[in-house]
Amino acid sequence: MNFSWDLLLNAVTSGIMLGGFYAAVAVGITIAFGMLDIVNIAHPAFMVLGAFLAFLSINTLGIDPFLSALGFAAIAFVFGRYFYRAYYHFFERRGDDSLQGLAFFFGIMFIVEISLVLIFGVDYRLIDLPYLATTYEIGIVQIPLRLAAPCLAGVAMLVAIQFYLSRTFTGRAILAVAQDLEAVRFVGADPIRTKEIAFGIAMASAIVAGVLLIIIQSVEPSIGREFIGRAFAICVLGGMTSLPGTLLAAMILGIAETMTSTFFGPSWSPAVAFGLLLLTLAFKPSGLLGR
Amino acid sequence: MANSITIEGLHAGYGAVRVLTGIDMHVASGETVALLGTNGNGKSTLIKCITGQVRPTQGRVLATIEGKPHDLVGRATQDIIGLGIAIVPEGRRLFPKLTVEENLLLGAFRAAARPRREESLAFCYEAFPRLKERRAQLAGSMSGGEQQMLAIGRSLMTLPKILLVDEPSVGLAPILVARTIDTIAEMKQRLGLTVLMAEQNFPQAIRIADRGYVLVHGRIELSADDPQSLKNSDIVRRLYLGGA
Repeated sequence: MNFSWDLLLNAVTSGIMLGGFYAAVAVGITIAFGMLDIVNIAHPAFMVLGAFLAFLSINTLGIDPFLSALGFAAIAFVFGRYFYRAYYHFFERRGDDSLQGLAFFFGIMFIVEISLVLIFGVDYRLIDLPYLATTYEIGIVQIPLRLAAPCLAGVAMLVAIQFYLSRTFTGRAILAVAQDLEAVRFVGADPIRTKEIAFGIAMASAIVAGVLLIIIQSVEPSIGREFIGRAFAICVLGGMTSLPGTLLAAMILGIAETMTSTFFGPSWSPAVAFGLLLLTLAFKPSGLLGR
Repeated sequence: MANSITIEGLHAGYGAVRVLTGIDMHVASGETVALLGTNGNGKSTLIKCITGQVRPTQGRVLATIEGKPHDLVGRATQDIIGLGIAIVPEGRRLFPKLTVEENLLLGAFRAAARPRREESLAFCYEAFPRLKERRAQLAGSMSGGEQQMLAIGRSLMTLPKILLVDEPSVGLAPILVARTIDTIAEMKQRLGLTVLMAEQNFPQAIRIADRGYVLVHGRIELSADDPQSLKNSDIVRRLYLGGA
């Protein structure tokens, strides 16, 4: 282990930038799994779908991925609503959602992955945005725009969703539906419609996270699996239902991973998420900002 | 404007179990009607038939809101709340991990209540100063009495015309039961509500009731047009006062 302040500061900086991206991935898990009790392990697979959509849009249509992300997010929102309605109809309504629901999402994950393999092949793809090639240097700290921009976009998305949840009627109903589904009816809200909207938001966030992913690193169809454990660990560490907690946990995981890979070698960094998960479950099961 | 509830020939149950048989009942505009009976006689089921949580096997549930008649059978609970019928449910059913203010604001979800949410919130805080003090606290961390106030406040945030109250005394200390009953009477007075209250605490309930029905084994055994005749009835004496 070689220690230097230079390495430490750069590890923390890139950890924060990575954390912003992790926040974008985990926000949808916090909504679907933390708030709606839907074990959507296909979430990262949908993220990879978003990555390939961004790849297509810039290479065939020449549309900037940040711009197309908004369009894809809108489509994904509508798709997510129908997707939840189907899930509700076939599983939740019958009370079959625990194990069968998990199997369902496992299947969806494979379907998405295999479809991507059939269409795009198994090669790694990357998009190159010339305007993100700049790297800012502040003293000894390097900030590549290619990592900083996705971080900012991810954090902005989380903050926007948090505002929506805490300031709007439907948003508050989403927070409430997680606690007492039937009681939501007593204030005049339809719990199923509320969950539909929430799942739509989660789906849209997955697609946006995918657009950010392919800006950061090269992507192949099954790469989403690397993020399943991380995203769920962030959700639990953050306190299951708290988006500020999710952001904080994402930053902690990002920094912990870059520190680990800087000082102990990259092969250790996948273990960090599960290490944090185990520590959380052992010492603070309610998570960092769990209510 | 008239706000009333009429129930005609209502039968309801759960699966093969019959809970209510042939209920006929009326709550006229501006009245406070007590639905009395000991545990397990069908009071809550009757309230749930009005709120759409239990679907009657037979009979009609009609509500008139501001002079407009509505058939409630077959409607979803949220749509019934949307008409202007609020419920303070049994067990309060607050959102324990949301703050007091978030719980109250959720009450203003229905379209008619949204534009007046600030006004309604100010009303609740004025009526329940305790809730104002604790506005940022999680609902689940409050005492039983405070939670009952919050449940009443949340129901008022929907700007109801008709208020249904299901067993407000359950789980409260006697002093708080009296206070809760007083609060319901006060809110009814101030907001001009029509109130139907299911309650097993007979002496408390008739303090504020204009009329009452006594439910025994799923039937209306007594329909009394004034509190005095309720108090003097043999059935009530047998059920509550242990007389022969």
